[in-house]
Amino acid sequence: MIARADTVLELGRARIASPRAAAVLGIFLGLFAFWLALPPVAARSVVVPVVVGVVAVAVGVWVVSRGDLRPGWGAVAAGIVGILGGAFATRAATSHLDAVITWSALVAATLRFATPLTFAAIGGMFSERSGVVNIGLEGMMLMGAFFGAWGADVTNSWIGGVLIGMGFGAALALVHAIFSIHLRADQIVSGTAVNFLALGITGYFFVDIYGNNGTPDNLAGIPDVHLSFLGHVPPHGLGSFLGDSFGQLNFMVWLSLALLVLSYVVMFKTPLGLRIRSVGEHPRAADTVGVSVYGIRYACVTASGALAALGGVFLSIGFVHSFSENMTAGRGFIALAALIFGRWRPFGAFGAALLFGFASAVAPRLENVEGWANYGTLFQALPYVLTLIAVAGVIGRSIPPAAVGRPYAKQ
Amino acid sequence: MAEEPPALELRGITKRFPGVLANDHVDFDLRRREVHALLGENGAGKSTLMNILYGLYHPDEGEILMRGKRVALGSPKDAIAQGIGMVHQHFMLIPVMTVAENIVLASEPTTGGVFLDYDAATKRVADMARTFKFAIDPHARVENISVGQQQRVEILKALYRNADILILDEPTAVLTPQEAHELFEILNNLRGEGLSIIFISHKLNEVLEIADRITVLRRGKRIDTLPREGATETELARLMVGREVLLRVDKAPANPAEPLLAVEDLHVLDDRGLEAVRGVSFEVRAGEIVGLAGVDGNGQTELIDALAGLRHPLSGRVVLGGEDVTRADARDILDRGLGHIPEDRQRRGLVLDFTLAENLGLHDYRKQPNSRFGWLFPNRLVRWARRLLEQFDVRGGGPQTRAAALSGGNQQKVVLAREIAREPSVLLAAQPTRGLDVGAIEFVHRRLVEARDGGKGVLLVSLELDEVLSLSDRILVVYEGRIVREYPPDVTEEELGIAMTGGHREEVPA
Repeated sequence: MIARADTVLELGRARIASPRAAAVLGIFLGLFAFWLALPPVAARSVVVPVVVGVVAVAVGVWVVSRGDLRPGWGAVAAGIVGILGGAFATRAATSHLDAVITWSALVAATLRFATPLTFAAIGGMFSERSGVVNIGLEGMMLMGAFFGAWGADVTNSWIGGVLIGMGFGAALALVHAIFSIHLRADQIVSGTAVNFLALGITGYFFVDIYGNNGTPDNLAGIPDVHLSFLGHVPPHGLGSFLGDSFGQLNFMVWLSLALLVLSYVVMFKTPLGLRIRSVGEHPRAADTVGVSVYGIRYACVTASGALAALGGVFLSIGFVHSFSENMTAGRGFIALAALIFGRWRPFGAFGAALLFGFASAVAPRLENVEGWANYGTLFQALPYVLTLIAVAGVIGRSIPPAAVGRPYAKQ
Repeated sequence: MAEEPPALELRGITKRFPGVLANDHVDFDLRRREVHALLGENGAGKSTLMNILYGLYHPDEGEILMRGKRVALGSPKDAIAQGIGMVHQHFMLIPVMTVAENIVLASEPTTGGVFLDYDAATKRVADMARTFKFAIDPHARVENISVGQQQRVEILKALYRNADILILDEPTAVLTPQEAHELFEILNNLRGEGLSIIFISHKLNEVLEIADRITVLRRGKRIDTLPREGATETELARLMVGREVLLRVDKAPANPAEPLLAVEDLHVLDDRGLEAVRGVSFEVRAGEIVGLAGVDGNGQTELIDALAGLRHPLSGRVVLGGEDVTRADARDILDRGLGHIPEDRQRRGLVLDFTLAENLGLHDYRKQPNSRFGWLFPNRLVRWARRLLEQFDVRGGGPQTRAAALSGGNQQKVVLAREIAREPSVLLAAQPTRGLDVGAIEFVHRRLVEARDGGKGVLLVSLELDEVLSLSDRILVVYEGRIVREYPPDVTEEELGIAMTGGHREEVPA
């Protein structure tokens, strides 16, 4: 009995005070320190963020001393960010802060910027989990963006645009699939080729069909979803925050969240998902029990094209309401980074997409601050800098599916 | 009573690959409740035959009958549907997934026809394990369990698919003797439950231990099928190789001369920073073979690495030919007269993607005549290789063949050729016959004895007791990083076995 009591005690201690959990708390405290100095709290005394930040650093140091290096340093870093950011914010003019930080608008913008990345990252997850590297996501998004706009124009309906955009994204993905699965080409080369192909195709048809005028102004757009009840949630502050953040998001934002949940369920809770993962880890093992390796890979790559295209469709007819050449501007690659950062898991990738989305959302606001306009391009680089930091690994090395990038030859 | 049709019958199976007749009109039948061994050298056509049976290859001629009826096996799916299960030599398991996930893959239990019912899967696995008396944790990840357990997962995978015929492709090649023993118990249980088992092997003692009948293949042809009763190792070896084989090594008594390699109080750390070699001292003299016997994982690997310069010892001394090489690097040690036949020929012995000529030139590519003023002369490597390949009877390719294309036995001959041809004074042979068949084993053993008779010192590290006993002139037993005892070559296997598991503890003076 004594032995058992000991184990229980030990288990309990591990639960409550495991270094990892403490590190998460530390990271949270660090960010909280920063937040305290921002509106609406906007503590004006530098002591507040510094005290909280120092606690975060202390927690981080403790975790490092316990041997969990990466999360520990993460907490230390978050604490320092909290102290520096907080100190900086307390010295900034309140009007400047208000220009940048309007939480509800930031949340809405973050979601909007994250949505195309989410679609593409989910698509990438299917492809890569099945063992096919897909750096062609960028091109597939671009196909979705152009043909989504064209489809909406031709059918005069946004639904038509969505379906046609997806179709063309899937078609481009099929090209990548044929090269990398049946012809066993190098998947990086094939993906790169597919990106250039998409750039050429969309550029050509864009000029050929719309010439100098660009896409028509009255393009059928994907509607926003109005949830006016959110604004009436008591208390008033919360209600208006919810209303402004989530009350009028585009339909595609909600669709991306739904697909996120769906993709998680498919990948981790169904036989299909087990088979997809097995094909990406050890195709021969899957083959010997009767899983069709080629079938699964074709389906996954094609689906990834359709999903990435959804992200493109959102960009053109859900967000900007027009198409311009190369309008995806590297978002496919950022989505890939989000996928890797998120360890090839849907919610991980979504978290990363949110981070990049936040960077994109906050950048133009920083430009609005008096006297900072000159640094605009610098702020535009924020998401990419974050990508670098993220990939360099605060979180640790993420391990890709074992067979990713390797063509499978049947015996 | 009408005779029960065999569970499986292969008639006149023929399979050609470009340039090779892999199976030449092979007949084979498997009765219910029997273990039928398929015996043959590497490349005799055993695996081809079984891949045909598992639907991976299609025969050019011949027919397959199951329970008396003709069947076509177009894919593994068909074979599975017919109740055939296969345990591949290289396991077909997904390391990052759990035991249960691996077992149910492609025929998963579901809830509502949509969702994977993981709980049902683990329960089924646990039930099966209980029925067949295995110990296995369905929730464990495959990468975290032992090789022996992984093999059980493979067996369960077949049973889960209701296999009543089980094919095991060289199942003991990767197992420790203890694990092999456990496997045989499992196979006996399965036979008791009504399964029929095809056991592919080239190890004679195992075949005689487990099989009811034995079919011998040689060069794609069925040579004979005989019951175990009355079969002997000598006879089986003769059928397998096609000539008389010396199972015991024929050698004159040793004539040890001056010490060539001296190890003094050596301590070596393993990859985890633990002390794996804890104060080992011994000598190898010219003209003797010293056998180092021990159960795997008692510091042999670290000791070999330290001697070959691949791992720096913590303390102690290694003296080679009178010079201290304790801190020398690998190339230096090789140049001072050590020949090293590594444990793992595919990872350390050879660069599989290189040609044989390149592999044979790995040590001396920088020296004349192979290169001069920084220029490499590939033609000279090829010429040199051609001579060695002939001397060492390497078959299956020439100097320009990729090493990966050779069979295991021939790959090992290439390693041997490279190491022995440099005329080392001391030859360090680690597991030199692992995975080889009797013909190749005989060849390797003969070469090692020749090296000894040529006045070299040979340190043989092996997990195979037979090998240590038949080759060595002195036997050192290693246990938990120490040499616990020295024996003369006429010690019994039992006595060695006890010492290897820590039974006798006496420090021996060097």
